[in-house]
Amino acid sequence: MSYEQTSRPAADSVLSVEGLSTRFFTEEGQINAVESVSFDLREDEILGIVGESGSGKSVTALSLVDLVGSPGRITAGSVWYRNPDLAEEFRGNDSVEVSGDHVDLRTLPPRVRRSLRGPSFSMIFQDPMSSFNPSITVGEQIAEAVEVQRRARANPRSTRSRTQGYGLSNYLLDGIVPGRSYTSKASTERAVELLEQVGIPDPEERVDEYPNQFSGGMLQRAMIAQALAGEPDVLIADEPTTALDVTIQAQILNLLRDIQRDRGMSIVLITHDLAVVAEMCDRVCVMYAGEVVERGPLEAVFGDPVHPYTQGLLGSIPEPDAAKSRLEPIAGNVPGLLDSEMGDRCYFADRCPKAMQSCLEKPADVPTSADGEHTAKCVLAERPYDPDEALPDEYFGGNE
Amino acid sequence: MSFGRFVFTRSLQGLGVIWGVITVVFALRFVTPGDPINAVAPLDATQETRRAIAAELGLDQPLYIQYGQYLFDLMVGDMGFSYIRGQEVTGLVFARVPATVELAVTATIVAIALSIPLGVISATRRNEPVDYGATLFSLAGISTPNFWLGIMMILILAVEFGIFHTSGRGTDFGDVVISVVGPEPFISTLASWLKYITLPSIALGTYFMALITRLTRSGMLDELGKAYVTASRAKGIPETLVRYKHVLRNTLIPVITVLGLQLGTLIGGAVITEAVFSWPGLGTLVIQSINLRDWPVLQGSLIVIGTSFVLVNILVDTVYAYLDPQVVYD
Amino acid sequence: MVSARVIRNLKSEFKTSALAKIGLALVVGIILVATFAPFIAPHNPTEQRLPQSELPPIGFTDTNEKTSSEMVDGEIQTVTETEVIRADSDFVLGTDGLGRDMLSRIIYGARTSLAVGVLGTLFAAVIGVPVGMYAGYHRGRIDDTLMRIADVSLAFPSLVLAVALIGLWGRAAVRVPDPFVVTGLVSGMPEYFVLPITVVIVVGLVNWVWFARVARGEAMSLRSQEYVKAARALGASDNRIILSHVLPNAITPIIVLGTVQVAAIILLESALSFLGFSGTTLSWGFDISQGRDYISSGQWWIASIPGLAIMLSVIGINLLGDWLRDALDPGIQGEGGAA
Repeated sequence: MSYEQTSRPAADSVLSVEGLSTRFFTEEGQINAVESVSFDLREDEILGIVGESGSGKSVTALSLVDLVGSPGRITAGSVWYRNPDLAEEFRGNDSVEVSGDHVDLRTLPPRVRRSLRGPSFSMIFQDPMSSFNPSITVGEQIAEAVEVQRRARANPRSTRSRTQGYGLSNYLLDGIVPGRSYTSKASTERAVELLEQVGIPDPEERVDEYPNQFSGGMLQRAMIAQALAGEPDVLIADEPTTALDVTIQAQILNLLRDIQRDRGMSIVLITHDLAVVAEMCDRVCVMYAGEVVERGPLEAVFGDPVHPYTQGLLGSIPEPDAAKSRLEPIAGNVPGLLDSEMGDRCYFADRCPKAMQSCLEKPADVPTSADGEHTAKCVLAERPYDPDEALPDEYFGGNE
Repeated sequence: MSFGRFVFTRSLQGLGVIWGVITVVFALRFVTPGDPINAVAPLDATQETRRAIAAELGLDQPLYIQYGQYLFDLMVGDMGFSYIRGQEVTGLVFARVPATVELAVTATIVAIALSIPLGVISATRRNEPVDYGATLFSLAGISTPNFWLGIMMILILAVEFGIFHTSGRGTDFGDVVISVVGPEPFISTLASWLKYITLPSIALGTYFMALITRLTRSGMLDELGKAYVTASRAKGIPETLVRYKHVLRNTLIPVITVLGLQLGTLIGGAVITEAVFSWPGLGTLVIQSINLRDWPVLQGSLIVIGTSFVLVNILVDTVYAYLDPQVVYD
Repeated sequence: MVSARVIRNLKSEFKTSALAKIGLALVVGIILVATFAPFIAPHNPTEQRLPQSELPPIGFTDTNEKTSSEMVDGEIQTVTETEVIRADSDFVLGTDGLGRDMLSRIIYGARTSLAVGVLGTLFAAVIGVPVGMYAGYHRGRIDDTLMRIADVSLAFPSLVLAVALIGLWGRAAVRVPDPFVVTGLVSGMPEYFVLPITVVIVVGLVNWVWFARVARGEAMSLRSQEYVKAARALGASDNRIILSHVLPNAITPIIVLGTVQVAAIILLESALSFLGFSGTTLSWGFDISQGRDYISSGQWWIASIPGLAIMLSVIGINLLGDWLRDALDPGIQGEGGAA
C-alpha cells in the first residue's frame, strides 16, 4: 500500500479519512463492509453520516476508534487525526505517517492508538440499555471513564503500556484490599458533576443506581455524560436517538448540540434519519453499500442531490411531518456486500431508476460544485441521463 | 427489597424445602415392602424384640402422631436408633460429616481455582491451541465416570508409581492445622495429608472443573459479544477491567446458578468417590446402611445430605444476589 | 417445531463443525453395535473359560510369578519362575477374571447402557413434560406446588436417591428375548437381554424434575405469545392449546435436554452398576467393579476398557447434544461480531 498517492489532509480538519476500507473475513466469504470511504471532519462541526441499515455506517464509526472486532479488519486507507503533540512526538519516526499537525492513526503503534480512546475520541451508542453493564452502577461506569482521563494525565507513559498501567495483579489487589479500587473518590465526584451537566435530576442519588433503574432517555444522557468524561476532541454518536421515543429524541439532540457549542467539539453523527441530519448537521455523507456515494454541505446535498440514491432518500420523506420519516424508500434491498458478488460496478445500478450502460463500470468520485465541496460517485455528476443508454429490464430481474 | 431482606426471604424458603426433605424421608418408611418394622429391626430379631421396637418408635400410634414425634425428635437432634449397629444415628452420621466435607470442599476449591482461569484463557484465546486443549479436556471431563477416573489414578499413580495412597484417610485436614502449632512437623503432615486427599479430590473435582471451564468459556464468549463490552472499550478503560470487572463478573452470575443446581451431583459424586477410595464419609455410610438394611441410618444420612444441599444453595443465592444486584432490586 | 429452518440450521451447523460429525458417528456406531450385538460379538459374553482367564489384550503381555520350593543338595530352595502370559488372537481385548471375552462384554454392555439411557430419559420426560407444561400454563397453586416438589426433589442427589430407592425396592430385572437368537439367526449367544427395570424406573423418578423445569419455563413464555392468546380468545380448550401450540414449540429445548439426559443417565447407570445396585451383570459399570480387584495385581485392562467405552459413548452423546443445541437454539449462537 502506498501512502504517496494519498493527498495530504486539509489543515482545518480534525479528522480526515481517506480511502478507508474495512472487511469481514467470514466462513461465507469476504464482506466489504466499508469500501474506500473518504470524508473530512472539521473543527466545531457536526458531520452526518446517513444511510440505510447495512450500509456500513456503524462499521465506519468503529473503524475510526479501532474497535472493529474479529473477524473484521481495516484493510486500507488512512485516518488523519490532528494532534500537534502526537505529530511532534512521531515526526521522523519511519513507520508513522505525519503531515503537518496530522498523524495517520493507522500507522501509529496499537498501544498509542488505544490510548486515544477516551481522551481523544469517544462514542455514544444506539441502545443505552445494552451499552451499559447491567450489574454495575451507572456512576461507577462513568467514573471509570473519568479515571481513564485522570490517569492518562498523571502518567501518560503507563497508559501506553500493555496493561494500560492496570494489570491483573492490580485488579486482584483491588478485590482484596479494602478501599482500593480503579476508580477514585474524585472520579466519582466528577461523575456526579457530569450527570448534572447532561440534565439528570438528583445526580447524587442516581450515581448509585443501576442501569435498569434508569429510563431510556435518562440512560442515554448518562451515556453522553460518560462520553464527555475524557473531554474528547471528537465525539462519535452512532444512532444516538434510534432507540428512544420521539419526544425524548429531540431532547437528546438538543443536548448534543448544546454540548458541541459549549465545548467546541466535533461530532460525527451517524443516523438513518434524514430529519435528524437536516436538523443537526453542517455537512453530510450519504452511504450506500459500504461506499460514500455523495457528500458535501448539508444545503448542497439536501437541496440539490445528484446521486439518484440521495434523491430517492429525500423523496421518501413525507412532506407534512418530516420528523417521523423512516427510510424504506427505494425498491429492492441493500446488497449483501459479499466480495464475490460485488464486482466493479455502481452498486446502486440494480435499484436505480436512471441506470445506464456505463453504470456497469465503477463510477469515480466527481466534484459537482465549483469549490469541490460537494461530490458524488455517479456518472450523472458528469453528464445527464440518456434514455437510449438505459439498462435492459432483465438487469433488474429478481430484485423485488 | 434490601439485601438483608432478600437473604431473610430466601432463608425462609429454604426452611420450607428442608421441611419437605424431612417429610419425604419420613414417607420412605412406608415405601418399603412389607411392615415398616422390617426396615428398622435387625433381620434376625425375635417377634418380642420387633414388638418392643415398634412400641418404642410409636409405630402403633396414628400417623400424625408418628409424624409429629419424628419432627420433634429431629428438632432436638435425635435421628433415632440403629438397632442393627446398636448406636445412636445422630452420632453415627455426624461422625462421618467432616470427612465428606473435607473431600467435597477440597474438590470444589481445586475445581474452581483451576477451571475459571482455564475458561477465561480459552475464551480470550479462541481457536488457539490452548482453547482446543481446554475444549477437549472439558468434553472428556464431563463424559468420564468419576469412579473409573479414580480407579485409573489408583492404577497409575498409586499402584504403579506409588506416589499416593490407594485408599483411606490416614491424615485429615485437622491434623494439618494442628501441626502448625503442635509437635508434629508441618511439612510432613501436609505431605501425608496430600497423599490421601489428592486422588479422591481430583476424581471428584474433575467433572466440575470440566463443567465450569465449559460454562465459563461459552458464557464469556457470549458476554464478550455484547454491546457494553464495545462501549467499555470505546471509553478507553484497561482491558483488564473490561475482561474481569465487567465480562467475567457477568459470566460468573449464571455459572453460580448452575453450580448451585449441580451441588447434588457433587454430593452424589462424593458417595461413589468415597466407595472407590474407602473414604470414611457419609457416602460409604449410605452404601453400608443399604447393604445392612439399616434404614434409620439411611434416613438420617438423607436428611443431613438434603439439608446441607438446601443450606449451601441459600449461600449460593446470597453470593448471586451480591454479584447481580438486579436480583435484589427487581 | 421441526420446520425446514430447523433442518437447514442442523445441516449448516453439521457442515461447519467437525465435533458434530464425530459425535454423530460415535452415536450411530454405538446404536449399531448395541442393536446387532449378537452378530458382532465374537464370543458369548457370559461364557466362562477358566483356563483362559486374565489374558491381556492383543499387543500386550502379562507376567505371572510362580514360586515353588524344591530340594537341592538337601536344602529347601525357593525358586521364582516368571511366566509370560501372551495375548490370544481369539480375544482381541483380552479376557476377564473368569475368562469371559472382554470385547464381547463391551459390545453387549452397549445394550444395557443405551437401553437404560434411552428408556430412563423417556420415562423421565413422560412424567416431567406434562406436569411442567400444565403447571407453567396454568400457573397459580398447581405451579407453586410443583416448584416446591421440584426444590425438594433437587435436594436429594440423583445417585443417593437412586441408591436409596433401589435399596428399598430391590433390584428387579426383566428378561427380554433377543429376536436374533430366538429366531435362530445367530446361535451360541445369550437368549435374553436382561433389562434392569428398577434402574430404569428409578432414574426416571430421579430425573423427571429437569424435564418439568424446562417444560414449565417454555409453557410460561409461550402462554403470553400472541397466537396462544388468539387461540384462547377463539375458545380453544386449554388442553388443546397445550397439545397443539405449546408442546410443538417447546419440543426443541426438550430434545436438547433429552440428549444431555441420556448421557447423564448412562453415567448414573454405570455408577449404580459399579456399586452393585443394578439388576444385570452385563454392564460396563459392573465390569469396572470386577476389574477393580485386579488393578493391584497387574491386570489393568479389565477395569480400563469398559471405562473407555463409557467415556466414548458419553462424549458422542454430549457432542450430539452440543450440535443440536447450537443448531436449534438461536439464542446461544451468533452473539459475536463487532457491528
